[in-house]
Amino acid sequence: MATNIQVLRAAGPARRGIGRSILLTLPIMLWSLLMFARPDAGRDLKSNIAGGITAIFMVLLFFMMMRTGTTHRWRRLFFVSVGVLFPIEFIHTVLQMRGTMGIPIEEMIAGRTPFCFLPIPLLIVPAALTRTVIFPGSILPGQGMAGDGIAAMVGIWLAISLVIGKGWCSYACFFGGIEEGVAAIPKQAKIRKLDPRWHYLPWAVLLAMVLLSLALFEPAYCMWLCPFKAVSEYVAARNTVGLIQNVIFIVLFAALVIVLPFMTKKRTQCSFLCPFGAFQSLFNKISVFDVRIDQDKCRACVLCQNACPNMSLTKESVAKGEALMSCMKCGACVDACPRHAVSWHVKGTDVAWKPERARLMFLYGAWAMAILFGGSIIAQGLATILGVFA
Amino acid sequence: MVAYVWYGDALALGLASGPACLAACGPVLVPSLLAGQSGVVSNLRTIAVFLGTRLLGYLLFAIVAWQVGALASMLIKPHPYVIGLVYVLMAGVLAWYAYAAGRNCTGDCSTAKLVTIQEKGFAQLANDSKKTLAGVAALGFLTGLNFCPPFIVAGIRAAELGSLTGALLYFAVFFAGTSIWFVPFAGLGCVVRNPGLITVARMTMGLVALYYLALGLYMLLGR
Repeated sequence: MATNIQVLRAAGPARRGIGRSILLTLPIMLWSLLMFARPDAGRDLKSNIAGGITAIFMVLLFFMMMRTGTTHRWRRLFFVSVGVLFPIEFIHTVLQMRGTMGIPIEEMIAGRTPFCFLPIPLLIVPAALTRTVIFPGSILPGQGMAGDGIAAMVGIWLAISLVIGKGWCSYACFFGGIEEGVAAIPKQAKIRKLDPRWHYLPWAVLLAMVLLSLALFEPAYCMWLCPFKAVSEYVAARNTVGLIQNVIFIVLFAALVIVLPFMTKKRTQCSFLCPFGAFQSLFNKISVFDVRIDQDKCRACVLCQNACPNMSLTKESVAKGEALMSCMKCGACVDACPRHAVSWHVKGTDVAWKPERARLMFLYGAWAMAILFGGSIIAQGLATILGVFA
Repeated sequence: MVAYVWYGDALALGLASGPACLAACGPVLVPSLLAGQSGVVSNLRTIAVFLGTRLLGYLLFAIVAWQVGALASMLIKPHPYVIGLVYVLMAGVLAWYAYAAGRNCTGDCSTAKLVTIQEKGFAQLANDSKKTLAGVAALGFLTGLNFCPPFIVAGIRAAELGSLTGALLYFAVFFAGTSIWFVPFAGLGCVVRNPGLITVARMTMGLVALYYLALGLYMLLGR
């Protein structure tokens, strides 16, 4: 059987001709040009250069997806770029505006704390019960670091989530790229066996954080557990509590975003901690796209399970012909399967119904969103770097 | 007639403060209910035990506060060491409860399969229901000693009644008002229990226990 797999792997996914690949890339090309390369009187030269590079980068990656028939490695290039460039741009802006990465309490009181998507699930219950947003930010575009405000972020999140479900975690999250990049470095995992029970931890973190946020009337995850505070902004350590909070952020970042991804080749923060990811899993129930396994083709070689970065494929789920609801739709399992048994799928259709068409339908939506959200982050990050070296 | 006004006031205060009590007790009560048996009646019983012992905690504190004159002088905020100790005890009970809930599952809770728990597991759970209720009772009592702002407001109002019996009755009526808000929690009994859910509930209890432990130690060891 191993020989058969090798033969099939050598065959690889179906490649397209250059002309057809360009044709399929045209809509993305137009969208990229519209987003980044439009003549805009208000933008300076470095922003235009950064926008141009981003547009070419995004179009090229999509072209390669069309040409090679694979998804994961090209998406990963985009995703890691977002993960690396976001902190660069964010920290640079924070230092320029505040002179420190610490959030002064005055900024919180003034509602100028920048809002990211991670606390969204923590805000829902308090908002429903008390009509209060328990985040020290601005609902509408505000001054300072408040940026476009909470409403804009929630709107973007909702739009993307309804289309691609938990695909958010592979195409829109601006934190996950760091650990995905670290996980890609080693050739082999040093830790191979992970207790599947840990897969429930994000749900427990979600439940605990929702309940504690309601009790404390503050976004508990942001205050106590977010590892990405280490590379964005942290609580200004003016007392023992602030010091403890920052130590927790740094330890969690080092452990779950650097060390464990390197040891396991998995996205361990996403798999074992992120409450937003757990919450986002619910959107996989709404999204029309999922990943299915054709039982007629599957030989249970577990290559897909090994490739999955967040353990969303188990023996049981493969036997049932589907990924778990935590699937991030990154495409790693689809690309890893030598028999093309794992494929993109549109709900309501047969498993074997035109998987490449399902992939295209998903990718057009996901990549358009990626350009809109992640692409902007890449462009801003590049503009920051160009500005520093100019 | 005046008494009716007073106790009407207590009930109104309780009803108005209910959401705050709900928020304060949620981190302890919700995972405890999810880790237990399914069924609305079963959950109602658990909630009743929790609320009953919480009332006991309230009244006990009210008596002590009355005796030392703290209630009448409106200085009812307890010493940080007392709160710290209560938090550490609560963390200990939660951790024990999480451990006990795992033992009650006859091994199924340790699997990663999202399948409905076996009948055998529930039978075992029923046998251990006394142990489970003891855990809930301890948690209720400790949350009763864990003072939330509405409780302090009620304490100040009760002190104006001038007699210990009146103050205790005021507390009891106030408590009844807040308790109505807890009834919807019985709806958690409708959630189908499976090993995955119980594992999540146990992990949540562990996380909440860690939070209370950290908070308690912080208060005990000096801020």
